[in-house]
Amino acid sequence: MKIVGISACTVGIAHTYLAQQKIEDAAKKVGDEVKIETQGTIGTENKLTKEEIQEADIIILAVDVKISGEERFKGKKVVKVSTETAIKSPNKLVEKLHEIVEKEN
Amino acid sequence: MQEKSLENFLDKKTIIVDLKVNTKEEVIKVIAERFYEEGYIDSIKEFIGAVYEREKEGVTGIGNHVAIPHGKSNTVKRNGVAIAILDHEIEWDSLDDTGAKVVVLFDIGENSEGAKEHLKMLSVFARKLGKKEVIDYLLKAKSIDDVINAFKK
Repeated sequence: MKIVGISACTVGIAHTYLAQQKIEDAAKKVGDEVKIETQGTIGTENKLTKEEIQEADIIILAVDVKISGEERFKGKKVVKVSTETAIKSPNKLVEKLHEIVEKEN
Repeated sequence: MQEKSLENFLDKKTIIVDLKVNTKEEVIKVIAERFYEEGYIDSIKEFIGAVYEREKEGVTGIGNHVAIPHGKSNTVKRNGVAIAILDHEIEWDSLDDTGAKVVVLFDIGENSEGAKEHLKMLSVFARKLGKKEVIDYLLKAKSIDDVINAFKK
């Protein structure tokens, strides 16, 4: 499965990147392809390309603040959670994403 | 290469091991004082104020006995990170039921435009805190070198 998404927290220093790491590790563990864009104090990094978004089976937004470029995901299945949820239970979150995608197909 | 620069980025002077404190207030104060002594901040009081502002926004205990409070304030002269390994776990609101035995406190200036490179290191560092291997090692750290070695994982 291909997962892409964005993480962003209030201060943009710590939780954003922690969430990114946790989601990526959890997804890779079950053999998914994953890429998480971060929108933090240093700006946007690991920016998602149009193709990556297009090819993704599901979009995960682990965000506590308004993000830029949410319109890029129009027409895609989007799941939104807080960075806390992503940090606390990344495995469960990825499991949930799988469930949602499987249900759709 | 990234690994090497991460080591350089950690300041041994802002790493404290075997810290004997009993409350969150105490540990934040000890670290703020250390930041002041090492020239990271101008005002202990203002910096502590900023840390508590952030605490109000949500829990900073990220689970697994680690807390990552942070303060963003004008009083910060140099962006940095302090790491305190406590001699015992203290109470700290967290994402799981654990408290804090490892406290990682970030200090960030309000105007960080000129410090992009450094902030980038901070983000690399924050990602490391999402790795269980790093945390397991940190929890057992007895010396400043142990702490630095943890981030080589």
